[in-house]
Amino acid sequence: MKSPDKKVLLSMFGTMHKIRAFETACQEFFAAGKIPGFVHLYLGEEAVATGACATLRKTDMITSTHRGHGHCLAKGGDLKFMMAEIFGRKTGYCKGKGGSMHIADVHIGILGANGIVGGGGPLAAGAALSSKYRKSDTVTVCFFGDGASNQGTTQEALNLASAWKLPLVFINENNGYGISCPQSKSMAITDIADRASAYDMPGVVVDGNDVLAVYEAVSEAVNRARQGKGPSLLECKTYRWRGHFEGDPTVYRPESELKEWMAKDPIPRFAKKLLDSKQATQAELDAIVGGVKKEVEEAVAFAESSPYPELADLLEDVYA
Amino acid sequence: MWLDESIPVRFSLPAGHETGIDCVSSAISQEGDVLLTVGIIANPVSGKDIRRLVAYGSVFDNQEKVRIIRRILTGLVAAGVTRVMYMPDSQCMVSRALENIEAPMEVEEMDMHMENTQDDSIHAARKMEAAGVSAIVVLGGDGTSRAVRKGAPNTPLLPVSTGTNNVFPAMMEATVAGLAAGIVATGRFPLERTCCRASILDVYIDGEAVDIALVDVAVYDGMFTGSRAVWDMDMVPQVFFSRCRADVIGMSAVGGQLERILPEEPRGLALDLCPPSTDVPVVTAAIAPGRFASVGIMRRVEMLPGQDCPVTISPCLLAVDGEREVEVGEGRRASVRLNPDGVWVIDVPKVMELARSAGFFVS
Repeated sequence: MKSPDKKVLLSMFGTMHKIRAFETACQEFFAAGKIPGFVHLYLGEEAVATGACATLRKTDMITSTHRGHGHCLAKGGDLKFMMAEIFGRKTGYCKGKGGSMHIADVHIGILGANGIVGGGGPLAAGAALSSKYRKSDTVTVCFFGDGASNQGTTQEALNLASAWKLPLVFINENNGYGISCPQSKSMAITDIADRASAYDMPGVVVDGNDVLAVYEAVSEAVNRARQGKGPSLLECKTYRWRGHFEGDPTVYRPESELKEWMAKDPIPRFAKKLLDSKQATQAELDAIVGGVKKEVEEAVAFAESSPYPELADLLEDVYA
Repeated sequence: MWLDESIPVRFSLPAGHETGIDCVSSAISQEGDVLLTVGIIANPVSGKDIRRLVAYGSVFDNQEKVRIIRRILTGLVAAGVTRVMYMPDSQCMVSRALENIEAPMEVEEMDMHMENTQDDSIHAARKMEAAGVSAIVVLGGDGTSRAVRKGAPNTPLLPVSTGTNNVFPAMMEATVAGLAAGIVATGRFPLERTCCRASILDVYIDGEAVDIALVDVAVYDGMFTGSRAVWDMDMVPQVFFSRCRADVIGMSAVGGQLERILPEEPRGLALDLCPPSTDVPVVTAAIAPGRFASVGIMRRVEMLPGQDCPVTISPCLLAVDGEREVEVGEGRRASVRLNPDGVWVIDVPKVMELARSAGFFVS
């Protein structure tokens, strides 16, 4: 396939930095006690959401996970509304009542982060079924983790997506741990992509810390889905730098493992490729990083200056 | 006389032991004065790349690799191999293979730091050669075999296919493959009788050797290694082969429609490609499992040993044995040379025929 053009490359670089800066701000403000509830940070996994969503149209849809900030940002989520939601403010995506794990924006195809592990698969299959039923050429991407891959809901979604040839791309973000449980303790296989053959769909292992590898693989899977050829399962091997949630002491994993993966940081790796290939100058990359930093600062300021929801808002938007 | 009588090897099936891993002994292991060591390098990630998506590549799950290793071990024991060294891997494939069999041999998991990249195979092979293994059994595709050859240039390899394109490694029954590797390891026959000395390609940048390919080097007119595989022939203006045959799959199938070059022949083939047109010969070939491509042949040159064949564009990437790997920066001069002293490859049918003619398994 042709290499992505410069505009796409620089956009991906900006998105990766946006996620990094956004998540770093969340880490900082959570530690400062300014963010309520839980946050599950996407630091270290930026290449997956970025490479995947760069292949999608605005009308395509995604389902996300409890670790969903990166997916929502990569799909075009508004930083201010996202940050305000995470801060529990009324100006947030869910009016401050959903928090980190429930960010959604259906206008740009974000069908929702999801606090239920494995909750996204059936939603994604439903969205893809609607595309097929309406004869639309939109594609749905279902992000899910290695822990979610053991859930029945995920297997049911894989099964029906294949049986009905739905325009759906399953993107497994395998970071090696389901909460504190290493993969080797919860499944006998190590490549979740192996499960694809049980559903007669292509299964591919991808370097999840290489944004260009992710971009290529997802491009092919999305094209396949758009052409009516059915779903694919891509397993992106990656690693989360932080604990399962902020505050997790991470005693279940060795420090050396974290160091090894931090050495594979997807952002400088991509920057080097851009510079080596003369697709970007250092000045261009610096300008992008500076712009993203400003955007995140503005989002934090917006969130902090926004009001909390009123007690009277409690039952608003409650359907059952 | 091709039998080296100085090495007292005897293969026999003890009475009452017709099958199973513990039923064959050799004089060497009984005497206990020589440890016959074979290395095993099994790549846990072979057979899982993007060619399952852009083509119809077969799926090789690691459970099947474990079963293959198990069969190889039985063959090695039956041939009298008394020690196995193996590369550890994240899937613990060899140790899982050993769980369900009793192998009367020393088994050593190598003590090495794993990067979970192809460098692991290179480092493991290097250590195995330094430790004096008599042969290395490789489970993987062309890429894995290439990595092992880089680390162990002088050790006979038995490449068992668990990859995608399967030009260098062969699909073979693993029990017999293990048996053949074990027989070669005994040193009873000279390598010239049991192995093929296959040519390879050496890759140079600005006159410095930087890499090798066992089968082919494809010049890729792109900047990024991405998912590594090559499936869009519009991006390939030039390709070099150390071997080609009409009945193979992958890039070398293109050359294979034009010429038959056996691995041991001291010649290769270089092609300049262009889009298909009526002005040039057009070759249609299976470049990946279930995927065909047509390319125009603009120029066709025989490669002679040591001859420097220049890559005509830069910047570019060089895909070695099907994977985008070597970056050639703008203004750098890349070239490819045929190396006829490339790698010893165990020829299983030949080995088994020698064993048969020597009556190894007949009492």
